[in-house]
Amino acid sequence: MSLKIEVKDVEGVAVLSCHGNVIFGDESAALRQKLRDVLGSKRKVVLDLSGVSYIDSGGLGMLVGAYSSARAAGSDIKLAGLGQRVRDLLQVTKLVTVFESFGNEAQAVAAFRSHA
Amino acid sequence: MALASNPATSGPASNSAAFPTLVFVQGNEQRTVSLDHTPFTVGRRVDRDLVIADPRVSRDHANIVSENGEFFVVDLGSKHSTFVNGQSVQRQKLERNDRIEFGARDTVYVVFDPHHASTNTAREFLSGISGIRISTETSDLEKLTLFLDAARRLNSIGVLDEILVSLLDTTLKLTKAERGYVFLKTEEGGLRLGAGRNSRGEPLLDDTTISHSILDDALKSNSEFLVKDTSEMLDLSGRKSVVAFDLRTVICIPLRKPQVQTGQRQAGAGDTGEVMGALYVDSRFASRDISAVSNDILRAIATEAASLIENARLVQAEEASRRYQQELAIAATIQQRLMAVTIPEVPFARLDGKNLPCKDIGGDFFDAVSTDEGLAVVLVDVSGKGVSAALLASTLQGMVYSQLSSGRGLVEIVTAANRFFTYKHIGEKYATLVIARVRRDGELEFVNCGHVPPVLVCNHQVIRPKHGNLPVGLISDATYESDRMQLHAGDRVILVTDGVTEAENQKGDFFEDYRLEEVAAKGGAMADVFAAVNNFRGTTPLNDDCTVVEMVYTG
Repeated sequence: MSLKIEVKDVEGVAVLSCHGNVIFGDESAALRQKLRDVLGSKRKVVLDLSGVSYIDSGGLGMLVGAYSSARAAGSDIKLAGLGQRVRDLLQVTKLVTVFESFGNEAQAVAAFRSHA
Repeated sequence: MALASNPATSGPASNSAAFPTLVFVQGNEQRTVSLDHTPFTVGRRVDRDLVIADPRVSRDHANIVSENGEFFVVDLGSKHSTFVNGQSVQRQKLERNDRIEFGARDTVYVVFDPHHASTNTAREFLSGISGIRISTETSDLEKLTLFLDAARRLNSIGVLDEILVSLLDTTLKLTKAERGYVFLKTEEGGLRLGAGRNSRGEPLLDDTTISHSILDDALKSNSEFLVKDTSEMLDLSGRKSVVAFDLRTVICIPLRKPQVQTGQRQAGAGDTGEVMGALYVDSRFASRDISAVSNDILRAIATEAASLIENARLVQAEEASRRYQQELAIAATIQQRLMAVTIPEVPFARLDGKNLPCKDIGGDFFDAVSTDEGLAVVLVDVSGKGVSAALLASTLQGMVYSQLSSGRGLVEIVTAANRFFTYKHIGEKYATLVIARVRRDGELEFVNCGHVPPVLVCNHQVIRPKHGNLPVGLISDATYESDRMQLHAGDRVILVTDGVTEAENQKGDFFEDYRLEEVAAKGGAMADVFAAVNNFRGTTPLNDDCTVVEMVYTG
């Protein structure tokens, strides 16, 4: 599997750092499950994608699905550290208008704090 | 005709099958019911084995029962009586081809175990083979081996029932026992009766008179077979059937899944293959003693019967999988036909498009529709691949095609499609798409939903419109907008899927948008785009479908 996911807690915010590709199959299934687990106990999640070079259509569908369910349950997922390719993808699909994204993990965590 | 079309009700349709059949005829309909248990109940009540919804049929009209391998119909005091071959009966032994009527005469009837024209049953085939190959000096054991070898090579469909019956007949012959039964393990772990025969070759449906305690012992034990001579058994308490039915000898052979890897089979201990069922034969005191059957024969039956049943099951599984593959192939053909595009000819524009599938059935498609509003083209890329993507693609294509044909606005069309797919909660599947429509006067309207932006070549200048919307099927309350511009004679619109811009070369670089724009700027047409992609990727295979559509406004 070409995706590694590390989970840590930063001031009450769950931060998931991803390394590799978020693609249809085992990778997106693993991230979906991790997000589900984390959202079971935390309402604030930052997805650090600085280590992700590629997201395919299946991976993108999973991200939006997870985001929609989180929002419906009163939780939130913010994105951080988008590389050029991921940023282009969100731009083309106009999902930049859906996700809140930040330059890095610290900024995303800080955004949660300022809203709290 | 509904004859044997329902696998739940259709039974083995031959003389040598495990159970006799009933052919139920009602008007123009016929179906075959397997008489796989008795009493077999008939009546108007919905819980009957055979339900006949006719007011002349009583709720509990009649039963079919079996005794000593023979079948009887028993009227249960019905109002309009039961008839066999036109005669009113209370209780009547059934012969093959007997016509049974239950109150409602002429319109509804049942034929008992009719002969079928086909004689090509597995059993007859096997008997044929063994008859040719076996010389008179051959021992029973050799006969068995030859017989079962032949059976294993038989790759006929639905052979399991017939193989069970063949197996029983052979076992009864070799052991000289009176009755034999094969039990197969169900998915829930219990045992169900697969087939039962007596030494006269008649079917036995009732397994209540066998010794279930000995059957259980055999399954729990680790041995290849269990022979119980009840005359030597001291404690018969708890062996109800042995006492009640005067059973003398019982032989029970657990059927264990053949273990392929172990190479050599060790008799007895250590033989722990998964139990698939059991072969049970017995005889009564009044009958002959079968306890002296050679262990070699029992061991051979144990080994061969298990692999025989396993093979028959594999054949069935293969057949099921083959049918499934066929269904998929049919689905793929339907998909391809749906996706086949007839390009409309209009005096003011020229259209061309091509899809290069990478493998499997993909989710790319394009379509074109000409209406009074102009010439419209749609290019869609459904997320994911395979059957699920194809299913979504077909649905979307139907929606878009019909709405374009009725001349609806582009924004209206994508909004409706998005509402439909998000309303139906189809999971994480969605589609990116572009619809472009050029009017006779050159006005181009297009709506881009998360797709690779169109390449517009206007007066030799390449334009990539920034306009765009969310994909279709992701966000339920997404709103969509279209963009418009004026084309002049010679201007072109090139639409591609991301399989083109993300085509990889050996180094892992992508084709990218700028290479696409370069080809377009040089005046390249659709074929030039494909040539450039192929040239770029060299021998690296495509990892996504590539679709290119080109529309030229000719004025």
